[in-house]
Amino acid sequence: MNGIHDLGGKHGYGPVLPEEAEPVFQEAWEGRAFALFASTFVFAGYTVDEFRHAIEKMPPAHYLDSSYYEHWLVAFEEVLARRGIVSREDLDARVAALQGGGR
Amino acid sequence: MLLTPEILPAVLATGASARVASEVPARFRVGDRVRVRHHDPLTHTRLPAYLRGKLGTVEKDHGVFAFPDTRAHGLGEQPQHCYSLRFGARELWGPAAPECDSLRADVFDDYLDLA
Repeated sequence: MNGIHDLGGKHGYGPVLPEEAEPVFQEAWEGRAFALFASTFVFAGYTVDEFRHAIEKMPPAHYLDSSYYEHWLVAFEEVLARRGIVSREDLDARVAALQGGGR
Repeated sequence: MLLTPEILPAVLATGASARVASEVPARFRVGDRVRVRHHDPLTHTRLPAYLRGKLGTVEKDHGVFAFPDTRAHGLGEQPQHCYSLRFGARELWGPAAPECDSLRADVFDDYLDLA
């Protein structure tokens, strides 16, 4: 797929600036997102290729404006919703609850 | 299947490796000059766009792996060799690139033709 993810050789994105003493996770939730991979990979039975393709299909503006682990979250939602393990309605309800200050 | 403490070491040891034990003949050998196909599917591929149509040299045969292009869509593993190819910087980026620079990329058998 000739999508926005395929950034190799593209111009105009500026230099790569490595962060000094970069933490493993920028935010605590990223550690939880990382852990979700092994657990959902085992019980939902997807492949890393299907997971990557879910990221490639993100709307381009969202892809460029979101972090590495946000890409992962999008992919989890896509592969789990496709299998009926979660529904889009459940996800929307969860987001609404979190936006309302729930946990 | 649930991820439990009992199976965790096995999952971590094998990871999500796509290496396959099948005996599949390699279409290319180390030292071969190969041309990357103009492979541009609407579906998943592990071929970066900047390698399409480029000329490279096989430097290493990594062995046999499941093919991401089919496996991403539930179309089977189509096990095949994956090679480390060397591309000159000028082949990829044009005459302004330094002559001494090169890039190595892992490329699947199905993306290639003998040059």
